Amino acid sequence: MLGSYDFCGHYDWTFMWLEKHGTASTLVEYWDQAIFQDSQDHATREIIASGLQGMEKYWGHTLHDEAPGGGYSARIEGDRYLMEMKQCPSRGFLLMNGIEYSRDYCDHCIGWIGPLMKQAGYKINHAHNHCGQCYWEFVPKGAGKDDDQAGLEKWKRELMSAWEADEGVNAIDVFCNANAVQDKQG
Amino acid sequence: MSELYYKDTKPQGAPDFYFAINATFRFILRKFGQDGFIRWLREMGADYFEPINKQWRAGGLSAVADYWRAFFAAEPEADVIVNETATEVEVVVRSCPAISHLRLGKRDIVSCYCQHCYYLSQARARAAGMSMVVEGGNGSCVHTYALGDVLVQDLGSIKEAS
Repeated sequence: MLGSYDFCGHYDWTFMWLEKHGTASTLVEYWDQAIFQDSQDHATREIIASGLQGMEKYWGHTLHDEAPGGGYSARIEGDRYLMEMKQCPSRGFLLMNGIEYSRDYCDHCIGWIGPLMKQAGYKINHAHNHCGQCYWEFVPKGAGKDDDQAGLEKWKRELMSAWEADEGVNAIDVFCNANAVQDKQG
Repeated sequence: MSELYYKDTKPQGAPDFYFAINATFRFILRKFGQDGFIRWLREMGADYFEPINKQWRAGGLSAVADYWRAFFAAEPEADVIVNETATEVEVVVRSCPAISHLRLGKRDIVSCYCQHCYYLSQARARAAGMSMVVEGGNGSCVHTYALGDVLVQDLGSIKEAS
């Protein structure tokens, strides 16, 4: 039986399998069709119905289940929803167990959250360092300025600092005003 | 009880991951067909689970029994008994945590959900020099493991899930 306990392990292995046996777009289709449109249907309904409060409810439940020990901050701030992840339970599981199958495991999050937020009317500012630290900002489309990246810039500096402190950290991936994994700036 | 091969900071998995597993089955079936679904499970059984298959090969049926006790202790809401004799291990799933949570979440369960246990576990058993069969399904079932190639699956004895 495929279990929930080591889900992140066989999830990552499946990414690798889809990259190997599918076309160039199969993994992105998987995150969109299987995770966003099917598995996370409850998140979509919650966020479309209740906006920022829906995000608070969804991530409140999910982070409680996946990261009961904490290691993150998630909150509404003005017109946006922010998440600062210092110990990602998902990437952390892989790092703890030396699992590294797919090209970029961290991309799976924006792979399903991106299309969800597009449908709900939000754009995303996001950065991750592949070591369990990342930043998320969900901003209503049309609100604020597209070049208002103060929070993202602050987190990029923090992620860079973590990179300097740990030789094992990979490059930092950045997404500005994004709604898809293809919007990665590198 | 033995420890699980993979470590985590929390004692049990998050049950909503069953939603993703069910959705993954649906995607792979649609994209790669039934043959692709079976190939995905068999390759995962032989590759991703290889470290545990090695433990089974080295430890025999006791290692299989220990594994499933630890596995189901880490699955939320599982109600499972593992019986071990000199010749077989019987995993009696009185309430499957996955089917139970999918029903709770009012999910459209892939009809061949319970077949995944056979294709995945049979590949793992084979890698460990064993065979296994599944009987039942749709919320409760029995998995049986034995040394060698002695157990033969009747796919008709695995129920469709709903």
